[in-house]
Amino acid sequence: MKSRTTILSLTLVAAVFAIFATGSANALTIKRMTLQNGAVLLVSPQHLLPMVTVDIAFDAGARRDPKGKAGLASLTASCLTLGTKTLTPEEFNRKVDFMGSSVSVDAGRDYAVAGFTSLKKYEDQSLELLAQALTEPRLADKDILRKRGEQVAGIKSSLEDPGYVASVTFAKKLFDDGPYGNPIDGTVESVGKLTPADVRAFYQQHYKMGDAVIAVAGDVNPEEIKAKLDKAFAALKGTVPAQAEPEAPKVAPGIHLNLVNRNVAQANVIMGFGGIARSNPDFYRLQVMNYVLGGGGFASRLMQSVRTKAGLAYSIYSGFDAGKFPGPFGVVLQTKNKSANQAIHLVLQQLGEIREKPISDKELAAAKKFLIGSFPLKFDRLSSIASFMLQVELNKLGLNYADEYPKLIDAITTQQTLEVAKKYLHPDAIVLVVVANQREAAIKPADFEKQ
Amino acid sequence: MVRVMRSSPRCPFLFPAVSAAVIVVLMFASAASALAGLTDHVETETLPNGLKVLVLENHKAPVATLSIFYKVGSRNEQVGKTGISHLCEHLMFRGTKKLGPEQFSKIIQENGGTDNAFTTADYTDYFEIINARNLDVPIRLEADRMANFDPKGFDAEKAVVMEERRLRTEDNPEDALYEITKAQAYVEYPYHWPVIGWMSDIRHLTLKDALAYHAMYYSPRNAVVVAVGDFEAKRVLKQIAEAFGSIKNGPEAPPFTQTEQEQKGERRVTLKHAANLPALIVAYHVPNLRSPSAYPIEIAGEVLGDGKSSRLYQDLVVNKQMVVDVSVGYDMTSFGPQLFTVSAQMRPGVKTKDVLAEIEKQLAALRDKPVGAEELQKAKNLEQAEFVFGQDSIFQEAMLLGVYQMLGDYHMLDQYIPSIDKVTAAGVRRVARKYFIKSNRTVGVLVPTGLLPHEAGGGKQGMIR
Repeated sequence: MKSRTTILSLTLVAAVFAIFATGSANALTIKRMTLQNGAVLLVSPQHLLPMVTVDIAFDAGARRDPKGKAGLASLTASCLTLGTKTLTPEEFNRKVDFMGSSVSVDAGRDYAVAGFTSLKKYEDQSLELLAQALTEPRLADKDILRKRGEQVAGIKSSLEDPGYVASVTFAKKLFDDGPYGNPIDGTVESVGKLTPADVRAFYQQHYKMGDAVIAVAGDVNPEEIKAKLDKAFAALKGTVPAQAEPEAPKVAPGIHLNLVNRNVAQANVIMGFGGIARSNPDFYRLQVMNYVLGGGGFASRLMQSVRTKAGLAYSIYSGFDAGKFPGPFGVVLQTKNKSANQAIHLVLQQLGEIREKPISDKELAAAKKFLIGSFPLKFDRLSSIASFMLQVELNKLGLNYADEYPKLIDAITTQQTLEVAKKYLHPDAIVLVVVANQREAAIKPADFEKQ
Repeated sequence: MVRVMRSSPRCPFLFPAVSAAVIVVLMFASAASALAGLTDHVETETLPNGLKVLVLENHKAPVATLSIFYKVGSRNEQVGKTGISHLCEHLMFRGTKKLGPEQFSKIIQENGGTDNAFTTADYTDYFEIINARNLDVPIRLEADRMANFDPKGFDAEKAVVMEERRLRTEDNPEDALYEITKAQAYVEYPYHWPVIGWMSDIRHLTLKDALAYHAMYYSPRNAVVVAVGDFEAKRVLKQIAEAFGSIKNGPEAPPFTQTEQEQKGERRVTLKHAANLPALIVAYHVPNLRSPSAYPIEIAGEVLGDGKSSRLYQDLVVNKQMVVDVSVGYDMTSFGPQLFTVSAQMRPGVKTKDVLAEIEKQLAALRDKPVGAEELQKAKNLEQAEFVFGQDSIFQEAMLLGVYQMLGDYHMLDQYIPSIDKVTAAGVRRVARKYFIKSNRTVGVLVPTGLLPHEAGGGKQGMIR
């Protein structure tokens, strides 16, 4: 695609390929505007296909769940598409399906994202349905109670997945009742107690356009779509009060073992501690360090040690889940019950090693080449362009982020990755969750601690 | 389509979201998003060694994908050697005469790309998505591992695959039920066994098995190479021809001869498994796209299970609130005889037989009454929209071109939407009457045994050191 006329353009290609120059003339252009109701709008026109994607991020994620009401943000989000003041849930669904569109509202951990994907010819009608859902949702008692039952059943179903149990247990241990302590969908107990009044109140308090971010990618004209959005969401004024940042989790020295007994063939292991917020300036250094440790797939040390050499796991990775608030760092793996001790030992060994010795120049170069060179892969479809734009705005990365990112990554040294490894990796103060057949796994610290 | 990938997606799921809403997964969504019109722009070449090459320019982002399909999957395996196709796929990353284990992926990543592979019952696909500038790198590397396969660390990789089977199947009630139901539905046809293979077979596979399998099936004449992305087609065609042109074919593979006899009477299978909730699969034998019935069957699937206004969702999730989820599966692009499946997970306290009766009621309605005009149009519109949305992904475009080429000719894609448009209410009723009948169904029922091991009590928590 040839770049099209816009005022602010994000010259991705030129920047990213300053190092790996490409002959391509295409560029991702983004126009940033502000709606009358205060929402920030980012538009990336893409005219190759007759389709449109719209995503709106509201400050209505699960971190906003009130104490004792885990799962409320998620329930509220899914109730918003259950009909409007003028349409029953059935009529609403039939209209959406008849166009072949998808209209959805989903709560994530930090934000709820509402939006649609439609053919160009159904853009106006899809927008109209989304606007109705967000500005005058039906929120009838009987529909909310049905959705609540669905959510509880869904959680019971998820509990069959040992990986889910491990991650829920890990988050609870690390964050307790903080904004990141509970599963996004809540628990069987917490959701069972939610009322229609809770849902309506959460909607009233958190679906405010004043601090929302809208990303539009596809076959649109920026001025036209702005005018349509101004009209459609004129009613949703106001902002959401700021939320106090929680204390970063602190894990006391020692290995905090949490064993959950299940009739499973594999031990599902998560080990980790508190991490960072996305706004932490060490984010980029940690990204490089973690690529080498466990984020870089088959190039990573954990994969090489635990999978390629030892054949102990199919999947193993590590990561800092950097959110609005400091999230966790975790290593996640599954291995047959009997080899759990051995796999944990290998992970602790790698966590220790990367804190003691700088990574090699070769590892550093490989990490940089991937992180910089693969950047354009974030834009290979409309949905990923839209979510990239949301991230840029919500995390205040700036419209020149694509220019800045390669510079930020390229400046990192092996000494700096060593510093952040020492500062942020704590193998001596770690939460260790093992969901397994405990008799077979026979987890023993003597077997996995330093030998 | 069941795919067994070489590695799981690299997304941390420290904060998993339970999908409380019922998600209707359509296995035929990929087929639905075909790309008619675009086949006009595909450039193609058959090399002297028989390798088929398809190249398509797409300039929306500075990205390209290379996808190489080998026409070999678990249906080509022999009894006692199941899982060899998938193990062979894993071993393709374990080195060549020039490369050490996992060096392949490292080189791709250093060139700003990602790579993966998957095996199905019909074929094996290796793909890279990479910044377009560096597409020559995967082209050379793929040619190298077609010609110079020399895996190191066989035992470790076999152990990895056994871990994958534990993760994917043994500890996953849904997949375990599908595996046993499929084994009951297919008696003669080798879709009988799982793509990943039976555990006892995997355990006894040898390096010699893998080398012989590679030599026979990883020949240029048995492969299709597809490239889509931001490049000049002529140049990429030339690069592919240079890299693959001199590769020689191996010994001929044995001819594929199996068929599946008509099912004469309902079959039932029960699986006791660690789980909280009962689950159910109802599977009907149906034809693939070689039969004109494929399109009305596809539309029947849309009417029953695509979207929140679909019949099964409205009935079982919204009105009667009996299930956690319900989904319909049909993939008309399979090489062999296909299954049309309806799967559901019960809500707590709901009996499987009541849900089975309700599903049967919905299928009876399809047999007895023609689908209304608006509902039929809705199903077609859903197909049309998915068709366009599918073209938003270069990976998806490469997939469809490769799969249709393996089925005979990628131009068949052009027939997809016109064939969907021609489906009539009478046609849907006709296929429902012919295929969605009791004597043609296999019912798999998962009986939950709870989540705790039989010998033990609950977990414990503690602090050590």
